[in-house]
This record gives sequence, structure tokens and C-alpha cells, in this order.
Amino acid sequence: MTQTKLEMKNITKTFNHDKILNELTFHLEKGEIMSIVGPSGSGKTTLLRILAGLEKPTDGEIIMNGRDITKQKANRRSISLVFQQPLLFPHMTVKENIVYGAKVSKNYKEEKIESLLEAIGMARFRDHYPSEISGGQQQRTALARAMATEPEVILFDEPFSSLDPSLRQDLRYWVRDFLASRETTAVFVTHDMEEAMIMGDQIAVFEDGNFQQIGTAETLHKSPANMRVATFLGGHLILNDHEFAPLHAVRVGTQKTSKNEVSFHATVEHITYQHGRPVAHLYVNNLEKKISIPIDETFPTREVQVTIPAGSIQTFSGEIL
Amino acid sequence: MKLFKNRTFLLFLPAGIFLIIPFYGFIHAVIQSLGGEGLAHYEEILNSERFLSSMWFSIRTAGIATIVSIILGLGFTKWFHPLLTKTSPRLMVWIPMLFPHFVWGYMVILILSETGWTAQAFIAAGWLEDTSNFPVWTRDPQGIGIIITYVWKEIPLVILLLLPVYASIHPEYYALVDSLGGNAWHRFTTVDLPNLLPVLVESFLIIFSFTLAAYEVPALIGTTFPEMISVLGYEWFYGSSWEDRPLAFAAMVLTSLFLLVLTLMSYYGLSRPKWRAMRSDRP
Repeated sequence: MTQTKLEMKNITKTFNHDKILNELTFHLEKGEIMSIVGPSGSGKTTLLRILAGLEKPTDGEIIMNGRDITKQKANRRSISLVFQQPLLFPHMTVKENIVYGAKVSKNYKEEKIESLLEAIGMARFRDHYPSEISGGQQQRTALARAMATEPEVILFDEPFSSLDPSLRQDLRYWVRDFLASRETTAVFVTHDMEEAMIMGDQIAVFEDGNFQQIGTAETLHKSPANMRVATFLGGHLILNDHEFAPLHAVRVGTQKTSKNEVSFHATVEHITYQHGRPVAHLYVNNLEKKISIPIDETFPTREVQVTIPAGSIQTFSGEIL
Repeated sequence: MKLFKNRTFLLFLPAGIFLIIPFYGFIHAVIQSLGGEGLAHYEEILNSERFLSSMWFSIRTAGIATIVSIILGLGFTKWFHPLLTKTSPRLMVWIPMLFPHFVWGYMVILILSETGWTAQAFIAAGWLEDTSNFPVWTRDPQGIGIIITYVWKEIPLVILLLLPVYASIHPEYYALVDSLGGNAWHRFTTVDLPNLLPVLVESFLIIFSFTLAAYEVPALIGTTFPEMISVLGYEWFYGSSWEDRPLAFAAMVLTSLFLLVLTLMSYYGLSRPKWRAMRSDRP
């Protein structure tokens, strides 16, 4: 039986008359991981800080295990936050940093520290100071320190954004497995859609102070709720406020083909290579939109035709959940 | 001239040349204190009740003044550092540093002596019957006047030294301690103190060395017994008998050695791996 671990009801946050969060509502089951994805500066961090208790919401309530914790202070909540920077205490060794998390939350057990050191693969580096280990190791230690407090919910605020891409990829899977193996309930904030898809069971697209849509990666791609979601995913050609075509249905050629198709004139701006295939970056003149589509062959001219079978055109679902 | 091709040597040269002057003074004082009689003068002062009580009084008075200045300066910086980034509050805090110690000591006498403004104001208000009821805070055997003058004068210096450190602390660390379950004390001990420690130790050494051996404030506002070591040294130096002069040198050499050992111990403490790691990584 699933049980609701964390619930946010109509959370609103206003800064100087600016609504950063507008009546946000969502809930997380125990052991579930939710990714919140949205452009930089959209208020994702504020949302996390409100959940952690570091900032107060202007309105609304937060409920954990059925209890209202909106007014509870950060240090009384069983919620840990992993920050964008590792923020290890520089004068403490790897082990001391983890022990600190355990002791300060009054959850210290020597065996737990040992198992955490093993789990993050840092047992060998236990006596190293943060300045002596790599960025990835620092972030893993920060995660172990947060886990040492035995939180019921753990929050991540773009924890990999300061790492280089190859390390980021490894750490994503590692953290994902680490959380899954411990059935930890988690909220993972990122501006990177790929990261959101790897980390979360559910993905919440957050923009303009609201969740535009919450669902699995598949739901989001198959039936985006609105133009904003589709724009953020980048997998669709948006025709107008109501209609879109999935990019896999879009064909690029030098001429118009049959009649039962919608066709637009486009300019090839660039060709790059991704996953071993050429990708054309096009500017669709009439729609004033840029799209990127994998292609099979290069074109003799920069002017091309983008065609969509009429049957592939869909309307936005408009459903948030 | 191969020696001079070494850049490090050249870079140290100005500081080295400058240090020759105090070093020469110190060696000269050592020679004078010996006076061709071996360690006789040292033996004499170490058996002298006057010297020992003066040394204890000086260390105690300077120690209290320094620790109180640092605690108050630290508290002030902690609570007001966002305000102190503005120019006018900062200038107001630093005003006491513009005045000579002598002037500040005189002001303390004017305000806090038994016939001073405070006593007069209390009598006028009817809270005191007579100036003799006012506590003795200047020229007192406890060194209260000296401590008040130094504390008042050195707090701004402590603020000046601590302010840049507070400005450099990454505020997210406080949020981190909160989210781990820590309270205000944890924030202070794991975020503030480790960052401040080197500056606190240095501030202690600077203020303590100065207040231990400075002359004008204890001469103005202290008593003749017990007296601060600087006052005793001055008396021995310019006293009626020329024979006491080597004692003055011996007293000052011992004071210098005491401060030197204290400094070496502090730097040894700060060079522990923990604090070296703190300095090499400040995100």
C-alpha cells in the first residue's frame, strides 16, 4: 500500500509583489522520486527552500505524514537538502563531515557512518580534507552527510550543475540507484530535461510559478499539456497555441511532397552530429520557430521544406496531471 | 653574486632589513640587562615581589581587556555586519580608533572618576548622596579603569579585523547547518568560529601584546601598586638610582620572550592540518 509522504497544498510565495510560486499543489508517495524541471530563475530553488523550511511560504500548507509542518523550523523537519555546491566543512575530513550530519541530528551510529562511507565509495578517502578530493567526491560526501541525518525526504538543488558532463552522467545513475536502494523519498530540482528524466519517477515541468504538467517522461512527450511544456521538452514543432506535431513525424526535404500534408518553408542554420547522426538545426520561417531534427542526408541548398502528415497534428492536452 | 639571483631572497630583503632595527634593540636590551653580571639581574627580578605581582597584574589586566574586547567586538560584528557595509555606520564605529590612547584614557577619567560626569549626573538626579559613594573605577587596584579604556578603544579594531571575514562567509553554510538539524550554537561553532579562528588568534596576539606593554594608559589611569609592567619598567629605567636600569631591561626582555613564546604557540596551533585545510579551501 502506498502512503502519502509529503504534500504541498496551494503554496504561494510573493517577493515584493512578484508571485514566484502560485498556489502549487503536489504530493509524493513514500519512496517516490520527483524531478522538478524548469528554466533558470523560475523559482525552483525557492520551492525547495520552502520545503526544507529555510523560507516561509506566503500562503498554503506543507503536510508530512499527515501532519502540518508549515510552521516547523528547518532544523526540526526530517527533510535534508543537498545544495548546488557541496558545502563541505573545509576543516573537517570526509568522515568528520558525515559524522557531523549524524551527530547534529542526534542519529549517530558508528556502523551507519562506515556503511555510508562504503556506499559512496569514499572509505579509502575518509581522512582526506575536502580540498584534497575531487568535485564529484565532494558532492557524494555531501549526499552522505545529508543521508546521515536519516531524513524522511531528501531534496536536491541541481547538485550536479557544477560538475563536468561525464562525471555528471555517472553520478546521476549512482544517486538514482542509491536513493532507490534505500527507498528514499526525494525531490530533485534541475534545469536539464535529460537529468529530470533519469532522476525522477515523475517529472514536474515548472515555469512561471506554476506546474505546467506533472507526469512520466512518456506522458509529457506523448501529450504535452501546453505550449510551454512542449517548448521546454524540445521534441515538438509547435504550430500555434493549440496544435503541435511530434518531431519524429516531421520530414525535411527540398520539395513539397503529397497533398495531404502541411508544409512550411525553413532555413538550415547549422548541421551538427549527435549520437552518430547528423542533426539539422532549422528555422521555420512562417512559424518563427527553431527546431532540431536528425536527418539522413545533407541538402544541396539551405532552403528546405518541412512537411507534416496532417494526421500527426495533435492538440495540447491541457491537463496538468 | 649567485646569492642575489634567488628571487625569494630578494623579496624577503626589505622585510629583513626592517627587522634588523627591532632585533638590534632587543639584542641591545639583552646586553644591558646582563650588565656583565650574568643572569644576576634576572634572578633579582624573579625573586622580587614587586616584579612578580606587577607581571601577574599586567597579564591579568591585559588578558581581561583583550578577551572582553574580542567577545564584544565579535558579538557586535556578528549582529551588525550587514549594517557595517554602509559607510556612515562603519565610520561611527571606527571613531574611537582616531583618538590617541592618552585622550581616550583622559575621557574615561572625565566620565567615570569619582568626581566625573557620571557621578555628578547621579548626584544631580538624586541617585547618589555624595561622590564618595561612586565606585572607584579609575586609579583603582583592580585595573578597572585600564580595562574600560582598552576595551572601548580596541573593540573597533576587533570589528575592523573581523568584518572582512564575516563578509566572506558563504551564507548557504548557515542554511546547510539548519537543514541538517543544527541550532544557532552549531551555526556559530561550525561556520563562524572555524572561519574566524585565525583572525581571532591574531587579534588576541596584537591586542594582548599591545595592552600588556603599553605605557600611557596605565600611567594615566592606573595605581602605583599593583602597577603594570610598563610603568614599573619606566620607573626602574628613569628612577633615582641608575642601578635599577638593568632591571628595567631584564623585565622588558622577559616580557618580550613571554610574548614571543605565546605567538609561536599560537602559530603552531594554527598550523595543525585541520586549520591548514580550512585556509586552502574557501568556497
